[in-house]
Amino acid sequence: MLPHRSRLSVLVFLLPPLALYVIAVLFPILQSLVLSFFQWDGITDMEFVGIDNYIRMLTRDDIFWKAFGNALVYLAVCLFFQLGVSLFVANLLTYVGRGKEVVKTLLLLPAIISTVAISFLFQEIYSFEPSGLINQILEFVGLGNLATPWLSNVDTVLVAVSAPEGWRFLGLYMLILYAAILAVPKELEEAARLDGASSWRVFTEIRFPYIRPVWITTMIMATTYSLRGFDIPYLLTNGGPGQSSELLTTYMFKTAFRSTDFGYASTISVFIVVECIVAVGLIFLLLRRRSDVTS
Amino acid sequence: MRPRRLSFAKSLTTGLVVAIVIVQVYPLAWLFVTSLRPAQDFAAGNPFGIPSSLTLDNYVRAFEMADLPQYILNSFVVTAASSALIVFLGMMAAYALQVLGFRGSKVVLGLFLIGIIVPVQVALVPLFVNYARVGLLNTYQSMIIPLVGFALPISIYLFTSFFQYIPRETYEAASLDGAGPYRIFFGITMPLSTNTVITVVFVNGIFIWNDFIFANTFVFTEGLKTIPLGLQNFIGAMGSVDWTATFAAVCVTVTPLLLVFLVLNKAIIYGLESGSTKG
Repeated sequence: MLPHRSRLSVLVFLLPPLALYVIAVLFPILQSLVLSFFQWDGITDMEFVGIDNYIRMLTRDDIFWKAFGNALVYLAVCLFFQLGVSLFVANLLTYVGRGKEVVKTLLLLPAIISTVAISFLFQEIYSFEPSGLINQILEFVGLGNLATPWLSNVDTVLVAVSAPEGWRFLGLYMLILYAAILAVPKELEEAARLDGASSWRVFTEIRFPYIRPVWITTMIMATTYSLRGFDIPYLLTNGGPGQSSELLTTYMFKTAFRSTDFGYASTISVFIVVECIVAVGLIFLLLRRRSDVTS
Repeated sequence: MRPRRLSFAKSLTTGLVVAIVIVQVYPLAWLFVTSLRPAQDFAAGNPFGIPSSLTLDNYVRAFEMADLPQYILNSFVVTAASSALIVFLGMMAAYALQVLGFRGSKVVLGLFLIGIIVPVQVALVPLFVNYARVGLLNTYQSMIIPLVGFALPISIYLFTSFFQYIPRETYEAASLDGAGPYRIFFGITMPLSTNTVITVVFVNGIFIWNDFIFANTFVFTEGLKTIPLGLQNFIGAMGSVDWTATFAAVCVTVTPLLLVFLVLNKAIIYGLESGSTKG
């Protein structure tokens, strides 16, 4: 603490950021919580309905449960790319001799493209008529019978709208994990190698335990960002066909701004917030416990 | 036997990395080539084959179909204003919480940090209603306020972690010279924070430049549309799309960020790496 600080100076520095944060984030969260107990179309008077919205959401709304299940699949696909593939590539990259800097830059490129542009791009990649990139590749390797309209086939659409999100941030997470692996003391790895440890064992016994703190951060980032994923499914299919690629976020958005059912939409938003908090809590719980066991 | 196996492992590694790079980059390269392809060639022939000739017609059509310079300007205004606020407000809050300190500062920091995991969608309905009440719908501010609000937690987190490393003695020496909290902020803390500022600007700048959800919810008029929103104009009635012109527009609108990225990629990569691993 500074000796010359005064109560006034603390307020001068703290109030402007706090005010903006309250206006943009905290107050809206409280408002959503309040609105979730009302029925309101934004025009007529608000009507207090108690926990009716919650009962409707949890017991009578099939679309909600469908969207919740879809959101979990979306999460799984994103995590596969952003945590699984990126950790794999980050590891591989440490064994590459030259060109690491170029590889890092190239892998990061998709992260700077807007979701709207990415949606345009993937619309073409998934296209069936005329045949898009994926269908052409399938044709080329002799799996032409697997070709399908990826975005209008109800069995493939969910994974198809999830993959671009995983794809675009693969480089970002790879970069973070790569930096963490580089910080692993070289002496440890070399000692293990001299003892004849394979690359796999170096990874599981030295690298991974060492990067665990960064891994937890990365998991939280990837999980919470995926749970709020919205743009690409909204732009590619808008939840369709039917509800087969509807996520909680797109469902909430439609409930609010198509059906102008602000009360019920707020109930869904509250659920999304709770879902994120639970997810972060679970990650901490699981990883904490496992690190207790190993140490 | 051993050297041979090693070199095989090495080429397998290289091969896999190259394959991943292709998966990440080929779609973007294809997008760029398509933007230079004659429209008829794209529609008639194999869109993923090699173009028969190259043309700039698509770019001409892209500029006719939408006011691209306006979108770029709007994105620039929103990104610059938001980034400046995120840096300045984040630094101020971190200074109050970490350097000045006060009873309960941990609680306030916690309150800010909650924001890291709060999904932005929760703010859409309340902000829409509040904006409608005070006449802020369809303004630059309607996008800037939530963009800054939701980025502040990370910014504050990065600045507080950095401020921990500034030695106490630096402040004490300045205090003995009679510098008050304001002079110390502008004279010592701010100049020392350049690296963290770069990290904060890049981490957030990319997301803000590409923001779709706030723009899509709060902005309706052509004159205020940012790039992501403006690009949607290229979806014509009945969902028909002039693909080559659309891709030309994408290339034009990606260019500013791409240039910044390529020129400063060392600094950006350093920022992203240190932002998430130190801290």
